[in-house]
Order: sequence, then C-alpha cells, then structure tokens
Amino acid sequence: MTGSALTPTAVRTHRRRRSLTALLLASPLLVFAAVFVLYPLITGALTAFQASTLLDQSNEFNGVDNFVSLFKNDGFLRSAGFTVGFAVVVVAFEMLLGFALALLMNRAFPGKKLFFTLVLLPIMVAPALLGIMFRLLLNGDIGAVPALLEQFGLSVSLFAPSSVVPLLVVLDILQWTPFTFLIIYAGLQSFPRELLEASSVDGAGRFRSLFHIVLPTLAPVLFAAFFLRMIDALRTFDVIYVLTAGGPGTTTTTASIYIYKTAFEAGDFGKAAAAALVMLIVLLPLVPFIVRRIAAPGKDGAR
Amino acid sequence: MRSSRAIAIGAAFLTAVSLAGCSASGGGDDANADGTETIKMVAWPGPEGDAMAKVIDAYNDGQGKKDKIHVELVLLSRQDTFSKETALMASKDGDLDIYWTASYNVGQFSGSLEPLEGIDTSNYFPVAVDGLTYKDELYALPLDVSNHFLLYRTDLIDTLLNDPAAAATYSALAQDILGEARQPVPADQWDLDDFQVMAAYFSTSANPASPTQYGTILQAKNLLYNTMIWNDVLWGLGGSWTDDDGKAAIDTAEGKAAVQLYADIYKNGWTSPDSAQAEFPETQAALQSGNVAFAIQWSAAFAALNDPEQSPDIAGKIGIAPVPGGQTHVHALSLSLNKYGDSQDAAKTVLSYLATTDAMTAYAQAGGIPAMPEVLKANVDLNPAFNEVATSIADYGYAEPVFPKTFQAYSKLAEDLSGAWVGQTSVDDAVETANANLQELLDQ
Repeated sequence: MTGSALTPTAVRTHRRRRSLTALLLASPLLVFAAVFVLYPLITGALTAFQASTLLDQSNEFNGVDNFVSLFKNDGFLRSAGFTVGFAVVVVAFEMLLGFALALLMNRAFPGKKLFFTLVLLPIMVAPALLGIMFRLLLNGDIGAVPALLEQFGLSVSLFAPSSVVPLLVVLDILQWTPFTFLIIYAGLQSFPRELLEASSVDGAGRFRSLFHIVLPTLAPVLFAAFFLRMIDALRTFDVIYVLTAGGPGTTTTTASIYIYKTAFEAGDFGKAAAAALVMLIVLLPLVPFIVRRIAAPGKDGAR
Repeated sequence: MRSSRAIAIGAAFLTAVSLAGCSASGGGDDANADGTETIKMVAWPGPEGDAMAKVIDAYNDGQGKKDKIHVELVLLSRQDTFSKETALMASKDGDLDIYWTASYNVGQFSGSLEPLEGIDTSNYFPVAVDGLTYKDELYALPLDVSNHFLLYRTDLIDTLLNDPAAAATYSALAQDILGEARQPVPADQWDLDDFQVMAAYFSTSANPASPTQYGTILQAKNLLYNTMIWNDVLWGLGGSWTDDDGKAAIDTAEGKAAVQLYADIYKNGWTSPDSAQAEFPETQAALQSGNVAFAIQWSAAFAALNDPEQSPDIAGKIGIAPVPGGQTHVHALSLSLNKYGDSQDAAKTVLSYLATTDAMTAYAQAGGIPAMPEVLKANVDLNPAFNEVATSIADYGYAEPVFPKTFQAYSKLAEDLSGAWVGQTSVDDAVETANANLQELLDQ
C-alpha cells in the first residue's frame, strides 16, 4: 500500500540501505576470502616471479626464470601428464560406479541402511591415514591381504612396479566412489517421479527412461559430482605420497607431489609457486564452463 | 529498518572480532617475572625426541635453573619436521630458537642458521662434525648418529657354514652368479659379491631348499633415506658421488655396478617384489617375519629385532656385522641455532650444555645414540649395538659431500635411480640422468 507512494529518492535511499546491509552482512565472508584466499593467491603469484629459495631469500624479481626452469626438464610435464591421466581414469570409474550405486540404493531392499553405511565408510577416513593403512595391509611381506590371498593359492605383489599404478587407481576408486554416489543419490531423491511414470505410460523401457529422462534431468547434479571430484583428483597427494612417494622413479609423481618436493625438499619456493600457477592457469578456464553447466536448470543445461 | 541496522552492526562487530582473532597474540620478550628466559627447541617424535625430552626435563630441573633458562620442546610430526622448518625458515620466523637439523640438510638450511662458535666439539666423532660443517663453519651440533649394519640371522648363517652340502650348493650358485666357486664365509667377512650370492642362496627362487623365501630386502622406494643405503654399495665398490675434481661421478663403472647389483637382486627375486616400495619399517617387518635372512639396515633397528616382545620369532638370532663392502654412510641428527631466533644467547647456552658428556650420557640412558664415541663405549650395557656403532663409525664411516643442495641430491638420486633399482628403467640411462642432475645441483 505504501510502496506505490514512495518517491524515487526514497526508493534510491531504500536500495542504498539494502546494499549497505548486504555488504555488511557479507563482510565476514569477504574478509575471510581476502585473508585466506586472495592474499595467499596474490603472494603465491608474486613468488612465482621471484628468486625465492632457502639459500636465496632475497625475493628478487627474476622475470620468467622460474617458468623457464620448470619447463627445461620434463619432470613437471611428466607429473602433470600422469595427474591428468590418473584423474580422468579414476573419475570416470567413480562416476559410473557412483551412479550405479545410487540407482541401486534408490530402491528398497533388506539391509539397505547397513549397506549404505558401509558404502560411506571410506570417505570418513583421512586420506593420509588410509594410505598408511593400505601400506600395512597390502604389503607382500607383512600385509594381511596378500597373506589371506596366499591361503587361496594367490600370490600377489601389489607394490611391484607393474602393479603399483593399477593399485593406486583401485584405491582411489575405493575411497572416492562413495562421494560421487552420495551426490548423485541426493539428486535422485529429488527426482520428479511423475516424469518416469509419464515415460512409462508412453511405453519407454528402463534404458530409454534412463538415457532420455533420468540422465538429462540429473545433468547438473552429475556435473557437480564430476567437477568436485575432478578438482580433488587433480590435486591428489596423500595416499600416493604415503604409499610410493611418487616412485618408482617418477612413475607415480602427481603435480601436487612435484610441487611439494620442489618447495620442501628442493627448497625452491619460486619454482614451486610457478608450477602451482601454471596448474591454476590451465584449470581456470574450465571453471566458468562447468559452473554454468551446474547452475543450468532443465535438460539442455545451456543458457 | 531498525532490525536491519542491528544486523549490520552485529555483522560489523563479528568482523572486528574475527580480525582481532587473526592478529598476533601479542609480542613481548620471553623472559618470565623471575628473569628466567624461555627458549623453544624443535624435536621430532620417536626415540630421538623421547630421549631429548628426558634430557631437557633434567636440564630444566637442574642446570636450567642456574642458567635461568627454561627450554620448551616443540614436537613436530616425524615425517614433516623438515618441511615445516623449511616453511618457517622461508618466512624468517624467530619464534623457534633451536632447529632440528641433520647432516643431509644443514647445507641447504645454512642461510637460516647461525654458525656455532666457541662450543667444544672434541668429544664428538670427527666424521659427524665434518658432516655438519659447511664452508668451514659449523652449523649444527651432532646429537644422534645413524649408520648402517648388516643385520643377519645367526642361526641360518651358522647352519650354512657348518653344513658341507649347503656349502656346496652355495658354491655352485656363486659359480653361476659370479663365475667363481666361492665358499661361504662369516657375515663380518662378506664383500658385496658374497652379499649377492647369499641373497640368492637364501631365496627360494634360486635355491628351492632355502629356509627363507627371500635372501634380503632392498629398500628401493623413491626416498632420500634409501639413497643413503644405496650409497654404501657405491662407496663399497670404490665409487663416490664426486670424483677428485668435485665433478659428479655417478655414471662411472662403480656407479653402474652399484645400480646393477640392486637390479640383479630385484629382477632375480632375491628380494620381495614389494621391496620396490620398502623403507625402514618394511625392512624391519620383513626381518621380524622370519621370511628374510639378512638386510642392510639402520643402526636403530638392532635393539628392536633382538627384543623378544617386539620380535618373538627372531629375537636372540640376529647378528650385527659391518655393511658388506666395508663402508657405512654416517649422518647425524643435530641441533642448530635459528639465525632469526629471539633468544640466541640463551639458546647457545643450552647447546653448550648439550655438548657435554654428562648431557649425552643422559641422552644415551634415555634411549638415544649419542655422537660421542667415549659415551657409547661407556654405556655398552645399555645397548649392545653401541660398541659396534662406535667402532664402525670410527673405522669405516663416511659422510657424503656437503654442499648447498645435498638434501636435494639425495632426493634426486632416489628419483633418478629407484626405477633402475627395480629393473623398470635401464641402468645406463638412469646413471646418465642421475649424473647430469647431480652435476646441475653441484653447479648451483
């Protein structure tokens, strides 16, 4: 009743006050982001252009020397290549298995709650702890798993050079499939059932409904799961570092392990910051695209 | 509108509180009201840190009161102590007064450390002091020495030595492997050829009648500490990291032979396939399981292997001998002064105290292995390995060259060679790469 009587000046004042209130309410988060995100990001980026090592802490600007040094030998590119390959393989499996598990759990069956809890257990354990656990459990000389398999006449050497990469892939899938499952399952819970009923009335079979109704409707959820998991997989560190420290040789060195070793073993913070910046620059263009897909409602997901 | 204002004021208040929480907790000096100065000293958890904690407790209760100094021991995680110190050094942090260092990183850390002058080091092993000296300056005080031994099953070796049929099998294996029909000899007389034939003899892959599945366990994980063990083989074959001119010398005949020895043992199944990811704990566990006859292992391992509670299957059957080839890497865990520390004089007083035989005797009694030969010999009743440690370090211990990138060199060698150790990459390619990378580090 009073809204229609407001003068333009009053409306402007009202809007200004609302903006100010919004800004003040957001200020704790903005301060947090400035201190814990923006400042480290800017400092890190600056370090990438400085001579910053334990022996030379002058922090003098050295142009693109750190980047040249980074690409002069193939250590960084090799670790980046392994990281991307590893991430693509594990996330593909985790998405497929997570989706299959979510479909399975979307039905009622005896022992569902217990099964649900068991499925979620691996993501409740800290990755580094899981690495130590696997190191003890799977070692051929001392581990319980090889000893158990030995009872059935199966001799395995999971840490041998030929089997260590597949082992790391399996362990990552074991640990992180519950994560994709959980997100997709949550999406399925809010799935409009009438769509399936309608497609059923129209004579669509299970697979047709899956590919033409369920998957397109869940696309934003699937993208969210994929995106979050991919980010995590691209910075894989803990389990691999504990189990192999990146070896044998550099076979299992991820970009994160490379950056860690460059900073804390070589003491070359400039080069480590340059490597981190390169990773950021490579990954950054993907973010708006993926965010758009996640935020997009409906079937096609494009705006 | 009033409620909006209240919310806004509340948000501003919260922000202010958050910012206040982010600020430093206040400066001030470290002196208490009674004039006692508190200094902070880093240690890592484990036997060395536990032993140091007892020595520090004794200092705080005794000499510390006279010195008006209280030492606060800061335990970082064992795995990441040096990483955390690296981060603190990079930020020129002055909160910690005494850093936990080691022979292998003192060169790299030297820019953040204060050289030690006026502290008596005559009671230490000279090799331990040399390993902590960089550009003629002593940057750390030796604390706990580590070196390697051949730890072996006495029962198995005795049986081999006293059984003519077993000796004949051994001799035939030696003929196949070395091209000469050697006879088995006691462990303290092994050279690296004997080590290789023994590894084969005690492996079922070469000798189906072997009492153990594998002769030895190589520590072949891509880990800088494993480079130290491989270095024994390199030095034992007459090699070194550098030649007389200080140039990298990994791609020499000795370097190739040292890598080839590991590769042969691994590829022939005389060590377990999983030793590709083995380090100290896996080696210890493999010996404890009774599945392995011997290994080159760190000095700290001996006591646990002969402890019936920790090693019920093998306790009392473990012998200790020099590393085959007669060379053992020696490094010292050590204590250094933070160049940016707030209480350098007090910290130096504490270091001077720790350099006394009394303090190091207390350290030995608390479970450490002090770097003082006389203290070790006087306390052999505490740990039977003390005498061996004292003798081996004095007689055939060596320290790798100390240069600014020593720490990185250990890591790089592990990275470049670990693939070849387990037959994944060619020996020639690996030593060539390792040599080039080592030279690059030496040049920096």
